[in-house]
Amino acid sequence: MPSQLETAMETLIMVFHRYAGKEGRNGTLTRRELRLLMENELSGFLKSQKDPTTIDRIMKDLDANGDGEVDFEEFVSLVVGLSIACEACYRAQLTNTQSWNL
Amino acid sequence: MEGAIKTVVMQYLSSARGKENVSGKNFQKLVKSQMGNILSDTDSSSAIKDMMKGLDDNQDGKVSFQEYLSLVGYLANSMSERKTSASGPEEAAKH
Repeated sequence: MPSQLETAMETLIMVFHRYAGKEGRNGTLTRRELRLLMENELSGFLKSQKDPTTIDRIMKDLDANGDGEVDFEEFVSLVVGLSIACEACYRAQLTNTQSWNL
Repeated sequence: MEGAIKTVVMQYLSSARGKENVSGKNFQKLVKSQMGNILSDTDSSSAIKDMMKGLDDNQDGKVSFQEYLSLVGYLANSMSERKTSASGPEEAAKH
């Protein structure tokens, strides 16, 4: 049986490919696909991001090879960035509750 | 997807046991319990040690959150590639 971490990685891959397959090239996210993914899958994390230029900035930051679309490797950078942002937050929560037995 | 990110972070934090980094010993436990299906050689402590040396950019014998994320990112990339290349010929055969 897959572990929790393996299941989480599977989920990330599945979500990416579900949105990447909607339009344009199959293995990459267009600007619209990225926007849909962020609106539907990351609404809790990015609640305050109502600024329409945010998506353009994120897209530009992620698109390391400059081809106008986000491939899986570039998408991983988004996951890493969000994980780093969450780490500080979860660490503070854990310190407050002292619960290490998750 | 937010839950998946939370899992990635929490697995690290619970292995760090309140410390800044994950010790070599706890990294062994983490790899054995969480990556047994996607990595071969997780039964071998020396293989995990070698992997840890490869990850450990600053050579302090511990695994930082950044170093852990490089590993998770690398594994996710190879899983994703395996998936797309596996479905490739099958998809092509349908057309």
